[in-house]
Amino acid sequence: MKRNLLYTLTAAVVLLSMVLGACAQPPAATEAPAMTEAPAMTEAPAMTEAPAATEAPAATEAPAATEAPAMAFEPLSLSAPDCEYGGLFKSIEAVDEFTVKFTMCTPDPAFLAKIAFSSFAIQPKEWLEETGGGGAGSQLLEKPIGTGPYMIKEWRRGDQLILEKNPDYWGEPAKNQTVVFKWSSEAAQRLLELQAGTVDGIDNPGPDDFATIEADANLQLIPRQALNIFYVGMNNTFPPFDNEKVRQAIAMGIDRKRIVENFYPPGSEVATHFTPCAIPNGCTGEPWYEFDPEAARALLAEAGYPDGFETEIAYRDVVRGYLPQPGVVAQDIQAQLKENLNIDAKINVMESGAFLDAADSGQLSGLHLLGWGADFPDMVNFLDYHFGAGASKQFGNKFDDIIEQLKQGAALADDEARAPFYTAANNLIKQHVPMVPIAHGGSATAYKAAVEGAHSSPLSNENFAVMGIPGQDTFVWMQNAEPISLYCADETDGESLRPCEQVTESLYGYEVGGTATEPRLAEVCEPNADLTEWTCKLRQGVKFHDGSTLDANDVVMSLIIQWDASNPLHKGNTGAFTYWNALWGAFLNAPQQ
Amino acid sequence: MAALKEESIEKRPKVARLEAEGLRTSESISFWGTVWRRLFRRKSAVVGLWILAFLVLIALTADWIAPYDPVQVLIGVEPVKMRQKPCIHLLGCPEDQPQHIMGIDGNVRDQFSRILYGARLSLLVGLSTVTFAIIIGTFLGAIAGYLGGVVDNVIMRFMDVLLAFPSLLLAIAIVTILGPGLINALLAIAIVSIPTYARVTRATVLSVREMDFVEASRAMGGGWGYILFGRILPNSLTPLIVTGTLGIATAILDAAALSFLGLGAQPPTPEWGTMLGAERNQVFTAPHLVFFPGFAIMLTVLAFNLLGDGLRDALDPRLAQRGEE
Repeated sequence: MKRNLLYTLTAAVVLLSMVLGACAQPPAATEAPAMTEAPAMTEAPAMTEAPAATEAPAATEAPAATEAPAMAFEPLSLSAPDCEYGGLFKSIEAVDEFTVKFTMCTPDPAFLAKIAFSSFAIQPKEWLEETGGGGAGSQLLEKPIGTGPYMIKEWRRGDQLILEKNPDYWGEPAKNQTVVFKWSSEAAQRLLELQAGTVDGIDNPGPDDFATIEADANLQLIPRQALNIFYVGMNNTFPPFDNEKVRQAIAMGIDRKRIVENFYPPGSEVATHFTPCAIPNGCTGEPWYEFDPEAARALLAEAGYPDGFETEIAYRDVVRGYLPQPGVVAQDIQAQLKENLNIDAKINVMESGAFLDAADSGQLSGLHLLGWGADFPDMVNFLDYHFGAGASKQFGNKFDDIIEQLKQGAALADDEARAPFYTAANNLIKQHVPMVPIAHGGSATAYKAAVEGAHSSPLSNENFAVMGIPGQDTFVWMQNAEPISLYCADETDGESLRPCEQVTESLYGYEVGGTATEPRLAEVCEPNADLTEWTCKLRQGVKFHDGSTLDANDVVMSLIIQWDASNPLHKGNTGAFTYWNALWGAFLNAPQQ
Repeated sequence: MAALKEESIEKRPKVARLEAEGLRTSESISFWGTVWRRLFRRKSAVVGLWILAFLVLIALTADWIAPYDPVQVLIGVEPVKMRQKPCIHLLGCPEDQPQHIMGIDGNVRDQFSRILYGARLSLLVGLSTVTFAIIIGTFLGAIAGYLGGVVDNVIMRFMDVLLAFPSLLLAIAIVTILGPGLINALLAIAIVSIPTYARVTRATVLSVREMDFVEASRAMGGGWGYILFGRILPNSLTPLIVTGTLGIATAILDAAALSFLGLGAQPPTPEWGTMLGAERNQVFTAPHLVFFPGFAIMLTVLAFNLLGDGLRDALDPRLAQRGEE
């Protein structure tokens, strides 16, 4: 009897709790979709929750809309209290539903070229909030929601990334129903797959394979303009590289011509400056040191290392246009350092992501082999990114005299007017030797001969929406490596940026296969007379992949979470947001170092 | 396998007894003499021995027979290009071109010289790792087998844990912790080989310790250390020799694999696995750079395998009973 009573009581409690649970769910269930499906409804609470708006004292919100929450547009904005924080932006504000105004601290002639870059692509405000702006396990890193011609279908980590056509694309619809990204770090495998017909296009065929591809009637080789630089970096916070003479000795002790002549494909050239000459003002100032082992040894002895020293050469074993044969070049530099300067360098091959993190955070104590491909054709993209105020710690402590010149150069629009500053900056780089520029590497892409619209982009952002094989639904592309994440606001690796560029769009973009900017999500962005204000009129009726409509708040939100380091959505993949810092100078509310 | 060993050991208590008295017996001489005779009768073992002798000769004389320094970059020294094909004057390569019988590698170094020096490294790798593994493995296996009980259980369960991992994966894990480099790779390979030798030794010790001559030594008041290392172990060597010889082949292969993955010998060291790994992309454009190191590894491993197989047969008493003697 007692047991029966016990059972009855237990059953009653379980039943009661189920009833209570069922009753409690409906409100929660209705709240959740409201966040995503009805953005207008959720804007008000979201605004108050976002410390970007509440913590930063100057952040303002228009209160006008609070009385009519249903449809009214509440413009979002963020302003810096002043320009002392070191960045270029004074404020970013949504003027109305389809107008965004950028106020600059100093005139920025490269504004359009920079804002067009894929790190500043626009995603829905609600999606950014819902995914928490990134962080470990966040959907934002796996599944960006953009406005591009393709949308993410599936990313099988370690295998392939599948994109499918965006049926609501505002522009010219994509030629293929599906684009598949595959990857292999082995040039031989990439070519083999292309020859076997399992992929339709490959990036960076090995230099030895150029002739094979050109001789094959079923394939086409498209050379890529050498808008890149390969360099040997040194961190001046680690001895002996804290000594300028040691760095100069290494600059003179490496025979760069030998490296380019022996290990680079046709179309490559020895770097006379950090920036390629095709970029205006890239090659002003004195050319780099001539190879002079005698003088290099004398300098090294003067610095206190007559018998050389021991160090390390760190690199990642991934092929890039600027470094087509990483292992071979690393070994040649190792041999040259031993032969010319008696420096014993141990080779350290690192995983790509770990290597970039270690380089950017200034942890590499020896030499490191890295390079840079142009994101947009401006000095700012090369020099400011590496040596400007917002540069990473890759080369250790920054050089104030270089920063000063770069600041002045970046503030001017006219190439001739900028020339003296870039001449001075190039000369100072030569003097301080934060790195040794080695080569501007010629590279290429290769496609099946049947691919229409095949092209190589000098910015390495091939556009697959314009390519295709007639009668074929799927286009398969094989690149060097798997993307690290697909939230490209916080990625620097070209292998991540390329898929992002198919999926997300910025206010402006770059022409297919070229470097000129053209409007994308903005119909036009116009500056005021002194280039301190840029007003962008957004394209109307543009739909995101989740069906929501683009408005000015999406633009503002996508950008201010990068700009404001105190914003709770300022998370990203690693939280570095390297491009923002490098191109726009500094974060707002950056933590004190 | 265990039965074989027991039989091989059964043959020898008399010899052991006499040896215990400090005498060299005609039987002990004839046993090893027989082994040699049987070994030489096997053609495959002889081929293995010859290849090995050839490799040892190359390793010892690399300094004299290699035409170039293995790390010397020939840019500016000779008119050669990266990954140039082999040039052999006897086979019609023009006399005015420098002779490189295995071609030029990706860093413009003479491939032939690198292969020759690689032999030195590979043999060293094989011998040193197996020696290390045998010393530690035998010690652990002997103690476990002789003492039994808890000690046996603890040691052998630990060995089981090591054996539970695929050897190369475990070696990769160890190198990842220790950091890449030849010495660390050797250490890793040695560590993963220990359980094999510990098991073999333990099995043999378990059977030998029950034999009369061991009992006799014990009765004469011999301490356990003396009985184990002075009496039992010398009579348990046969299976170790076979396992060790075959183990050298595995060790060389593992070292090459680790180097191929960039975890073993570091550039510019002329190690076959490293050379193979560095040029793996050129398998179609410069096949000689992949073929020669691969062939060298194959030849060395084959030599040790042939010899190991021959030794196993030669040391197997059952074959003698079948009239092979």
